[in-house]
Amino acid sequence: MERLTKRTKGDLVLDTAVYFFLILLGVIMLLPLINVLSKAVSAEWAITSGKVGILPVGFQLDTMKEVISSSTFIRAFGVSVGVTVVGTIISILMTALTAYPLSKRLPGIPFIMVLFIFTMLFSGGLIPNYLLMRQLHLINNLWVLILPGMISVFNLLVIKSYYESLPEALEESARIDGAKTYTILFRIILPLSMPVIATIALFYAVGFWNDYFGPMIYINDTALKTLQLYLQDVVMDASAANAVNKSVDDLMNMSPEGIRAATVVASTVPILFVYPFLQKYFIKGVLIGSVKG
Amino acid sequence: MGTGVTDLKRKNNVKRVRTSSASKWRLAWRNRDYYVLLIPGLLFLLLFKYTPLYGVLIAFQDFNIFEGVRGSEWVGLEQFHKLVQSEEFGRVFMNTLLISVYKIVLLFPFPILIALVLNEVRLMFFKRTIQTIIYLPHFLSWVIISGLFVTILSTSGGLVNNIIQSLGGEPISFFVSNEYFRSLVVFTAGWKETGWNAIVFIAAIAGIDQEQYEAAAIDGAGRIRRMLHISLPGILPTVVLMFILRLGSVLDAGTEQILTMYNPVVYETADVIGTFVYRIGLGKMDYSFSTAVGLFNSVVGFILIISGNFISRKLLKRGIW
Repeated sequence: MERLTKRTKGDLVLDTAVYFFLILLGVIMLLPLINVLSKAVSAEWAITSGKVGILPVGFQLDTMKEVISSSTFIRAFGVSVGVTVVGTIISILMTALTAYPLSKRLPGIPFIMVLFIFTMLFSGGLIPNYLLMRQLHLINNLWVLILPGMISVFNLLVIKSYYESLPEALEESARIDGAKTYTILFRIILPLSMPVIATIALFYAVGFWNDYFGPMIYINDTALKTLQLYLQDVVMDASAANAVNKSVDDLMNMSPEGIRAATVVASTVPILFVYPFLQKYFIKGVLIGSVKG
Repeated sequence: MGTGVTDLKRKNNVKRVRTSSASKWRLAWRNRDYYVLLIPGLLFLLLFKYTPLYGVLIAFQDFNIFEGVRGSEWVGLEQFHKLVQSEEFGRVFMNTLLISVYKIVLLFPFPILIALVLNEVRLMFFKRTIQTIIYLPHFLSWVIISGLFVTILSTSGGLVNNIIQSLGGEPISFFVSNEYFRSLVVFTAGWKETGWNAIVFIAAIAGIDQEQYEAAAIDGAGRIRRMLHISLPGILPTVVLMFILRLGSVLDAGTEQILTMYNPVVYETADVIGTFVYRIGLGKMDYSFSTAVGLFNSVVGFILIISGNFISRKLLKRGIW
């Protein structure tokens, strides 16, 4: 349709401005990431003398190796992977199954819907939650990172509205063929809902992986520290060496800056790695969630 | 029980109610499979969402952890008196409002601008690449983002301070500066979420009827005019809706973000309600006072969201529920 009009001078100005703006934006978004990556693989002298900008100076991989092989890093990484995998599976099951009856017009369902939505708007706050977890003996127990977040009401609403958009005739014909409620749910509804379920699974996984507040409040045991807690120690602790648990000798030629950068990189890589594969899902899913009504 | 008259009346009422409720029960019974599916979700709701609401009672007590909610002494609104009179809370409240308002004023328009600009890009490859880049930071945790900015803003070899020094300035310790900390909070929040927040507006533009653009083009409207007179008005309802909803969370200035970034040096300018509740509650074990602060926060937030939704339903005929 743009071909309807000839390119005018105004168009040229607009195009130049548009591309300039977006490239600038992209650079601002990427610069901190590139900078930290370069610092992670640069020599100590280059970092402290401020020579590292976009490209690494005095390329070396010792700091990265040191960080990745540190036992505390490996343990924290493992804890986070475990919590994320188990948490995502449970959350998706709970959310997808709960959303199904809520998408039906049955007696009592609107009231139950109100019960769910109310918790989105009003919560007990930090202390009552903390006291509850204490009473349930969930402090220093990794389940505390999973159970209270099993159902996010927002995600529940997204899946519910997706179910509602599926044609009713589908279920009716299955029922005529003799299928029962659960057969319909597991054999027809859930397989048809894979795009939205994949999106929501991504949201849950990112939520579990990135959670800092939960572990900080409920987990004190060093053996159960998640990656985010470990990272916070390294990032904000002045003596990054302590956090990595290495003797001074080992760290002779590594600056705290370099260790910090390497730890950030090591923890970011998993996300950067899966991100391109997930992108096609979340765009679709966000659209389902945001442009209804 | 009761006199004959009321019995009779009741019987009549019951009969009418029973027919409708009986059919309801029958409908429900026939669909009992669905209700069975709801049981885990309802148990979750009861245990993890509604039990803490009962715990809010300790805001009206002098809570003693050994006595529990039932055994602790009731003190009425004393905690709230303490809250209103506390100078510290006043400061924290102002910090929350300031950071939140800065975030709204400086960051809310940006995603709209990005959506409008992206819509003008014809090269699909370029468009997708930029989108991939600007969504990415949303998926990084606040701890990682703190790490990125600690690195880039470091006074010993950080990129930004190198540039400042090469221009003849003094290096700035952003993370321990009361002067710059809020700007840091607002900037990093923008860096993380701007691209992500643009998705809604990008979707809204995609929903605009293409014929409008064609008609305008035939009438001789250039691309800038089409952007201002079709794209922008087309997404205006979405913009207003998002703005109203954003106002609803004005007391949430980003607790997790600030927790990962701040330190005692900048409490004066960086402590917000969320971090204050954490420090007083779990740090100093003042459970009752901290719960009162949290309850205040929840009630104000609740009122704001409810009224925001009400306004948006009146104004735009749509809301979040």
